[in-house]
Amino acid sequence: MTANLDNSVKKPNFFTSLIKNPPRKILAPLCAILFILTLWQVLCSGEDANLPSPIETFQDTSDLIFDPFFDNGGTDKGLFWQILASLQRVAIGYTLAAVVGIGLGILIGSNAFVYDAVDPIFQVLRTVPPLAWLPIALAAFQEANPSAIFVIFITAIWPIIINTTVGVQQIPQDYKNVAKVLRLSGTKYFWEIMFPAAVPYIFSGLRIGIGLSWLAIVAAEMLVGGVGIGFFIWDSYNSSQLSEIIVALIYVGIVGLILDRLVAWIASVVVPSEQQQ
Amino acid sequence: MTAFLEVDHVDKVFPLANGGRYIALKNIHLEIKQGEFVCLLGHSGCGKSTLLNIVAGLDKPTQGGIILENKQVKEPGPDRMVVFQNYSLLPWKTVRQNIALAVNQVYGNKSTKERRAIVEEHINMVNLRQAADKRPVELSGGMKQRVAIARALAIRPKLLLLDEPFGALDALTRGSLQEQLMKICQEHKLTCLMVTHDADEALLLADRIVMLTNGPESHVGQIINVPIPRPRQRLEVVNHPSYYALRGDIVYFLNQQKKAKKRQVKASAIIAGNGLEKINLEIGFIPLTDCAPLVVAKEKGLFAKHGLTQVNLVREPSWKAIAEGVTSGRLDAAQMVAGMPLSLSLGMGNQPPSPTVTALTLSRNGNAITLSKKFYEQGVRTLADFKAAITQESDRVHTLGMVHPSSMHNLMLRYWLASGGIDPDLDVKLTVIPPPQMVANLKAGNIDGYCVGEPWNSRAVYENLGFVIATDLDIWQSHLEKVLGVKEEWANKYPEAHIALVKALMEACEYCDDRRHREEILQLICQPNYVGSAPEYTRPGFIDPYNRGTNEPPEMLLEYNQFYVNKTNCPSRVEGLWILVQMARWGIVPFPRNWIDILDRVRRNDVYSEAARQLNLPGLEPERTSFQLSDGSVFSPDNPIEYLQGLKIKREIKIEEVEIDSLVVSL
Repeated sequence: MTANLDNSVKKPNFFTSLIKNPPRKILAPLCAILFILTLWQVLCSGEDANLPSPIETFQDTSDLIFDPFFDNGGTDKGLFWQILASLQRVAIGYTLAAVVGIGLGILIGSNAFVYDAVDPIFQVLRTVPPLAWLPIALAAFQEANPSAIFVIFITAIWPIIINTTVGVQQIPQDYKNVAKVLRLSGTKYFWEIMFPAAVPYIFSGLRIGIGLSWLAIVAAEMLVGGVGIGFFIWDSYNSSQLSEIIVALIYVGIVGLILDRLVAWIASVVVPSEQQQ
Repeated sequence: MTAFLEVDHVDKVFPLANGGRYIALKNIHLEIKQGEFVCLLGHSGCGKSTLLNIVAGLDKPTQGGIILENKQVKEPGPDRMVVFQNYSLLPWKTVRQNIALAVNQVYGNKSTKERRAIVEEHINMVNLRQAADKRPVELSGGMKQRVAIARALAIRPKLLLLDEPFGALDALTRGSLQEQLMKICQEHKLTCLMVTHDADEALLLADRIVMLTNGPESHVGQIINVPIPRPRQRLEVVNHPSYYALRGDIVYFLNQQKKAKKRQVKASAIIAGNGLEKINLEIGFIPLTDCAPLVVAKEKGLFAKHGLTQVNLVREPSWKAIAEGVTSGRLDAAQMVAGMPLSLSLGMGNQPPSPTVTALTLSRNGNAITLSKKFYEQGVRTLADFKAAITQESDRVHTLGMVHPSSMHNLMLRYWLASGGIDPDLDVKLTVIPPPQMVANLKAGNIDGYCVGEPWNSRAVYENLGFVIATDLDIWQSHLEKVLGVKEEWANKYPEAHIALVKALMEACEYCDDRRHREEILQLICQPNYVGSAPEYTRPGFIDPYNRGTNEPPEMLLEYNQFYVNKTNCPSRVEGLWILVQMARWGIVPFPRNWIDILDRVRRNDVYSEAARQLNLPGLEPERTSFQLSDGSVFSPDNPIEYLQGLKIKREIKIEEVEIDSLVVSL
């Protein structure tokens, strides 16, 4: 009885206090969003506006927003399926990039000769924009899907390689000395010292890589077609569904943020706080 | 038996970016016995960590090598485990895992259970049971260092290498870790090589302290043995009679290194002028009442009067430092204890002979023997009483302080003790302590008494810590005391400057012996840059009646500080012979069979006579006659060897021909 009473008393108190004294972290972004929406509404509410206003957008796309799971076959699918398809491509390409990138990075970082040999090449290749790889990929794979995955792979791999290389090169001399004095063998050195010491760098590479992957997938899908958020946007543009584009953009942004935070969270779990940068 | 670890003439050269070479270590040779604890001490950047890394095998010497148990060290290995300055724990492993990494690696042949037991044992040893599952980031600096020590000890290295292990810790943690380390080393009989820059830490932990000079071309500058018995307690170490002398040596060495660095910048030029070869002189002195002639010559402008316009008086911490300064050329000249020119020329204590001359005796008398007040309370009034007192307490070692083996304090204290039937080496123990530190050591109970110049006897009387059992007037009236010493090479190079220096000091001595000037001189020497003593305890003997700290009324001793009268200043050869004989008596140096040559060479009557002639003063050497000491014995300059053999208390007398040709200095 008393417990119930307590709860019934406390809860309203908590919420009322939140409403009365909302934390700035919540209040400030809300204000900004409200301001932007208002501005947008004002700018786009004219007769000859090229873009829909927020209210129009909401009205046009309410079924898209409230039912992301519909599937009418072909490319006519809900946003959930579109994004899932894109995420699948990213997952495959990014995983490949992570495995190959970390492996190559360790090899390059631990061998000065290999580093000197390939570093200039990598410095040139990493500046090539992701979409520039697409024609070559299409020519090589003859198929849309593997080409898109390859673009993801080639986009994400450079930061992973470069960061892993730096991580291995920057292993503190202290740790190397410990390994030398204890005469740790090659594999033991790898698992006990080199890999754990390079982990923080590897994760910063992975985090940059996931961001770039998600940037690249939208552009790549626009060109290769099929199910996917990129093609959805392009398709909507072709059918003049501007409201759908706006909703899709918001989704893309939110998913990108979630991906970035996910990798950051994994890093915070895996990397000891002493090593975190 | 060969050494356990031998650092065999190691050089280390680093190539520089500009194509040059930096020679970090030059010809380092060191042997370490099993179970020994050796500290490497030096300023930062002197290459001591580099040397440690070379021993560990982490760095390769450019020349020479490391030999551990007759095997050359080529690469790092767990038999030479290192405790690094910054702990070097792996941050992704817990305390237990960090230790286990080492244990599993080294004891691969033992069962998992045994290895786990070793890990747990060492966690307990450093009292980290509570923190065993924590990662290094959760530990304090002291705890981390304990983990590093546990990790190192768990694999039972033959040699434990420590690189400033406690450098980054607060004083309290450092102290307790030092004690733990000492205990562990004692229990496991570890051989340790530790790098540090802390003199106190080195004295507490080490059996031997190896001091490296500043780089470039850093080499072993000095090795100090720490004779403090084990197991050691911090307080016992600090109160050990040799502690302050050793510490003084170390601090002096480090300061010299610091100065050497500065000197490299401004190499002291030789400034000639006023008809003299060199007018910028660095003259060393020890804070004592009888440094008065030097102070007077400087303050009253007598150096300048004779053309030496740029004289700098350098206050030195000990007689050893004076000897080093003159030998190395850091000092042009110095106030020396009477036997020092002879002992340096003969090469005392296995030092290479460094011919040194004296042309002037600066003072006579002015010493006394002070005993702790507790003897006075026991009724000790005479030497015989003292003998009875120490015989009664035969289970205790009585330690007496003196200032340098070749000083009159040592020789007269020994002479006095022997005249009362006390063997100065067997019945008591004599230890070297710099004059200004005597009172502090007496107060701390490290020594039972001492023989030293004023004002350090009167100070003990003044503070009611001791009483004067004998002044030197009671032993040998008008004995020579301090002399002016210069290197023979210097005297030959700058003969005119040498004569000018002697003239200035002779006039200063004359000024000092006019009792009307004594008040003024007292003010001068009590200044902090000279003796820095309080006038209250500097006056007795110098101006006021001398108070022995007994019931007797203070007595006026007009000859107590004698600077000029009665041919004070002549570097008489007969007195030099007495010193030679006494030093041979106690085995300080062998007696030179060619003593006549040695005395002619060291005691430069020619320079003295020339200086006196130029000043129109009588400069003749006193008659070459026998003289009598207060105990009634007569010293004859004709039969020194017969005299030596007639002595009852003495060490084994060595009589050797000292190769005088080897003393010839190439000009």
